[in-house]
Amino acid sequence: MIHLYGVVEELEELPAVAGVDLGSLERHRVEGIELVVSRTPIERNEVTQEAVMSHANVVEELMARSCAVLPARFGSAFVDEQELADAVRAKASELTRGLKLVRGCVEFGLRAVDGKDAAESASREPSGRDYMRARLAEEKARRRLADEVHEPLVRLSRASTRFAGASPDLLHAAYLVPGQEVAVFREEVHRLETAHPDLMIVCTGPWPPYSFADSRESPA
Amino acid sequence: MDMTRQQTLKQQVTLLELVDRVLNKGVVLSGDITLSVANVDLVYVGLRVLLSSVATLEEQREQISATGAAR
Repeated sequence: MIHLYGVVEELEELPAVAGVDLGSLERHRVEGIELVVSRTPIERNEVTQEAVMSHANVVEELMARSCAVLPARFGSAFVDEQELADAVRAKASELTRGLKLVRGCVEFGLRAVDGKDAAESASREPSGRDYMRARLAEEKARRRLADEVHEPLVRLSRASTRFAGASPDLLHAAYLVPGQEVAVFREEVHRLETAHPDLMIVCTGPWPPYSFADSRESPA
Repeated sequence: MDMTRQQTLKQQVTLLELVDRVLNKGVVLSGDITLSVANVDLVYVGLRVLLSSVATLEEQREQISATGAAR
C-alpha cells in the first residue's frame, strides 16, 4: 500500500524521518502536483497512536520545508501508483486551489468552555413554557458569547471554520492565520481570555492546515 | 499547583486536537477511508472526559477567585 502524507508545494528536500510503519519517504509528481508518500507492507487501516504520531510528525516536517502543505487525512492509502495518480488527477484543480489558500499560513485551534453552564442548568426547575423560554434565552446568550470570541479572531484569519457537533464546548473552531499575523492573533486570544474570565479558552497550534485542506468542508 | 494542572490539561487538549486533526481533518483523495472504528471512538470518549475536567477546573478557579485568593 502507498500511504499519503500530503500534497506539497516547493518542498526543499525530504525530511530525514521515518514514516508510518518505518517506511521511507518518497516524492511523487502527478501532473505538476507534488506528493509525499511511503510504502507500507500491509493495509494499514488500524489506528494506533504510534502510526498517528508518525503521520503527524512527517506532516510537521514537511511544513518546515515547503511553502505550502495540504495534509492528508490519516488512512489515505492506495494500492499502487496508478490508483494514486488517478485520485490526484480527479482532484487536481481542488488541490491547486487548496495549496493557494493555505500558502504562508498556519492553523490555530480554539476551544472555549463555559464553566458556569453545568451548575446553572442543573439547578433550574423544569416547568413547561417558562423553562423552554429560559432555555432559549440561555441558548441565545451562549451563541452571542461564542460570536464575541470567534469574530475578532476571524478578522485576523484568511479562513476559519466552526465545528458543530455534540460537545459541551461553547466554541470549537479553527483559524487559518497568515504567518505575519500569528503574534497579533496570539495577543488577541490573550485579550479574549482576560475579557472573558468565566470562559476556559484553550488555543492550540500552530498546526499544519489540516482543517483547511479538504475543500468539501468549505471554510466559511 | 493550579497552574501546573492547567498546563497538563492544555497538553492533553493539544494531544487530542492533534489526533482529531490527523484522523478527521486533512484532504481525502480516495473515496473510502477505512479505519477501525473502535479506536476512533476511544479518542472521543477521551475527549469528553477531558472536557468535563476542563469544566471542573474552571469551577475550582471560580471558587478560588470568590474567596479572594486569586491576585
